[in-house]
Amino acid sequence: MKPKLHYFSVGLIATWLGVFGLLSFLLMVVISFLQQDPDHIALPYFTFQNYIDLLDPMFLKIFIKSFYVAIIVTGGCLILGYPFAYILSRLPEKLQNISLLLLLLPFWTSSVVRSYAMMSLLKTKGLLNTLLLSMGIIHQPLQILFTPTAVGIGLIYNLLPFMILPIYVNLERFDIALIEAARDLGAKWTTVFRKVIIPLSMPGIVGGATLVFLPSMTLFFISDLLGGAKSLLLGNLIENQFLMANNWPRGAATSVLLTLIMGAGLLMYWKRTKNKEAEHEAFL
Amino acid sequence: MKYTFRALNVGFVSCVCSQKSCINLYTPFARKFPASPKFKSLWVYWLGLILLSSFSTLAMAESNVVNVYVWSQELSPKIVENFQKETGIKVNYSTFDSNEVLYAKMKASQQSQYDVIEPSSYYITRMAREGMIEKIDLKALSNYHNLNPAFQHPEYDPGGEYSIPWVWGLTGIFVNRRYYPDDKITAWRDLWSARYHGALLLLDDPREVFNIGLLTLKYNPNDQNVSHLKEAYENLVSLSPNVRVYNSSSVPSMLTDEDVAMGIAWGSDVYKAQVENPNIEFIYPKEGFVIWVDAFAIPKNPPHRENAYKFLNYILKAQTAALQVTESYYPTANKAAMAYLPKEIVDSEILFPGPETMKRGHFQSDINDDAIEALSRYWQLLKLQ
Amino acid sequence: MKRSFKFIYMLLIYCFLYIPIAALIGYSFNNTEYSMLWQGFTTNWYRDVLHDSNLWVAVWHSFYLAIAASSTALLIGTLAAVSLCRYEFRGKSLLRGLLFVIILTPDIVLGIALLILFSLGSLALGFWSLYFAHVTFCIPFVVVIVLTRAKGIDPNIFAAASDLGANEIQLFWRIIVPMLLPAILSSALLCFALSFDDIVISYFVSGPGFEILPIKIFSMARLGVSPKLNTLCSLLFFMTFIIVCFSHWFTQRRKA
Repeated sequence: MKPKLHYFSVGLIATWLGVFGLLSFLLMVVISFLQQDPDHIALPYFTFQNYIDLLDPMFLKIFIKSFYVAIIVTGGCLILGYPFAYILSRLPEKLQNISLLLLLLPFWTSSVVRSYAMMSLLKTKGLLNTLLLSMGIIHQPLQILFTPTAVGIGLIYNLLPFMILPIYVNLERFDIALIEAARDLGAKWTTVFRKVIIPLSMPGIVGGATLVFLPSMTLFFISDLLGGAKSLLLGNLIENQFLMANNWPRGAATSVLLTLIMGAGLLMYWKRTKNKEAEHEAFL
Repeated sequence: MKYTFRALNVGFVSCVCSQKSCINLYTPFARKFPASPKFKSLWVYWLGLILLSSFSTLAMAESNVVNVYVWSQELSPKIVENFQKETGIKVNYSTFDSNEVLYAKMKASQQSQYDVIEPSSYYITRMAREGMIEKIDLKALSNYHNLNPAFQHPEYDPGGEYSIPWVWGLTGIFVNRRYYPDDKITAWRDLWSARYHGALLLLDDPREVFNIGLLTLKYNPNDQNVSHLKEAYENLVSLSPNVRVYNSSSVPSMLTDEDVAMGIAWGSDVYKAQVENPNIEFIYPKEGFVIWVDAFAIPKNPPHRENAYKFLNYILKAQTAALQVTESYYPTANKAAMAYLPKEIVDSEILFPGPETMKRGHFQSDINDDAIEALSRYWQLLKLQ
Repeated sequence: MKRSFKFIYMLLIYCFLYIPIAALIGYSFNNTEYSMLWQGFTTNWYRDVLHDSNLWVAVWHSFYLAIAASSTALLIGTLAAVSLCRYEFRGKSLLRGLLFVIILTPDIVLGIALLILFSLGSLALGFWSLYFAHVTFCIPFVVVIVLTRAKGIDPNIFAAASDLGANEIQLFWRIIVPMLLPAILSSALLCFALSFDDIVISYFVSGPGFEILPIKIFSMARLGVSPKLNTLCSLLFFMTFIIVCFSHWFTQRRKA
């Protein structure tokens, strides 16, 4: 009986992913090496041109800009999220469950609509300014909307749980005895934090950082809405190539390149944590 | 974009929970289905659901329908309802929000499933040239005479055979008089004034923005000359310090709430904002302005051609067009409909400008691929400023 | 760290997360069509939403699609995770790689690729194309979650079951599935959410006659968020909230 289920399940998953995953991805890879043609999807002539096009300093500039945004957002999420995850992991179990549910509940509503709600809060005459003005904290309304600050707030708002959850998973399994041992051996709190807690929760931090870093480069509707669409992210670039410029081969090339870069980053991380089986399982 | 990632967090909680095996959400289920036999019934139930869905989709494919793919908010549900009541033909209507998505979708499918689509003017030219839409037999449409003659032979479709114009609009300058009470604004050029540093709203649409760049240089907005586009780009670079925001989706709300006090906008958006904030004024610049038209077309070999014609003929009725105007405040290309509209709409200079103003208008038409390539490149560069 | 400090910190983060939601709910009672500032109280939008039959058809379609797609993804994903965990076969690492590529590819690329694929295979766009697409992007998430749990199971349990005469299918249904149940059910919740909120991929593979909610929301939002949209989202939020509360209450009562 054993082979039957074995073959069935491996066959099923291989067929499904082969057809809808591999085939469609290969299609994109193939298209990325073809010549552009506006009247058809692509012309069947092999070319490296689409990848050579990506060496354009303009594209490089967009890459760098997206990276810059992603780094700031990741840092912000880490600073806000780490203490939260730590507190969460030290709560009684019953409270932990409720807190986790509360953390996720807002994320079941449409992300676009929530971004519009954020927009209404940050407006010149929005709730935030009205509140601060009436309390007398400020005397001039803050101009937050349509600035990079608003983009930062929006991205951190949307991505914070990605940072909190992996760190929480990691800290939750953290043995409190280690801290006590370090304390008993005479280490200061700061030393304990620097030398014990941080290194041990590194896999969680790296995992969270990956999950925040990647989407903050592609979640372009947030930068479009809250930042006034004044800058471009990688997501905009790919969308523009496909839809506006109608250049599918180059759009395909951009996304193949992006996938490769992201894949390489993740691969590096797995290689480094290969011995820590338990941690990297969370990310497969 | 990466909506998937947003939801990934849920997965993480699940990872967490799976280790703790006591999350509130699923423990009730876990208790309910402890072991195998009941579990099988669960799978059976799932399979049944999927089968059921297949039947329901099959049933849908057979009946008397017309598949319509239109701009979001440009076809009132009431019109659809009335049409269904009158003819017994079921309307499957889906909406899109950019020509590019419509075009990409039509391009990638070998056989259109839609009977009626509603691209914008310049996409009509492109799709007609590429053989994606077919000629409409105007004689078969008894209500065609309702159409405004000004729209029967537009630049983008000179024969008028590929498209039935539906709604249109114009792009101009808006200004909130509470903030700029005495500024004399008559031309696009006035936006370049250093007085408006970091204050302007521009539409988040490359064609619209470059139209201004071209018009201030006295070029035609449909200019395909790449070197002219470059000049327009350089011209717009000098405008970019004045830009506060690029947006085309929430213009009415930004205008009413006074987030921006000046910039470019579509007339109908300004009209909507004016209802709630009367300080806003709309100006037709003297260099000229662009008229966009969204028109119905029939894709090549539609699955239900006969119903498509019935639908188009219904759309051309005066009452139908009038209903659409009162629902969404887009000017209509249907002349007979004017008789059914309230006076304040017909008399509105913003929605229906007089013939003198209309002379300065240019219909937006298609530009060639080199120009599009250049445009999208310059657009990206402009955003990187 | 002091208790009060911890409490205040958590409260602040929750405020940050919930204030936009509160604003969204608040604005759903706003008596205006275009403004995003407070203009007076009304419940007209709720009446409007409740009477918009088109909207509820879309909600139903989405619901229906999410159930169908997530259950299939669960079936395939669970089998895949179990195979990845227990069996050795050729192409195993290719399969892993593929699962990652699907998670990593930008949505627009997967959407366009699937559209071309369906077109080449002359599959009509509609329920089925959406179904295939949604199952495809849900599978990797199921695998990730179930695999984490599956790796935690002691392999000796399987050996013991086999020794006691269980065949592979019995083993699967009676041992593996019940043990993976928490992971399976939580990935079901995830898949449901993924499928219910996916816009970009659905945009390309949806066809006439089967309009779904996220696309409807997105095209409504593209022309500005009206209080009507806020109303719809508030209603959906309340529904989720009630379901969560109910299940929480249910578990607590069971425990007692």
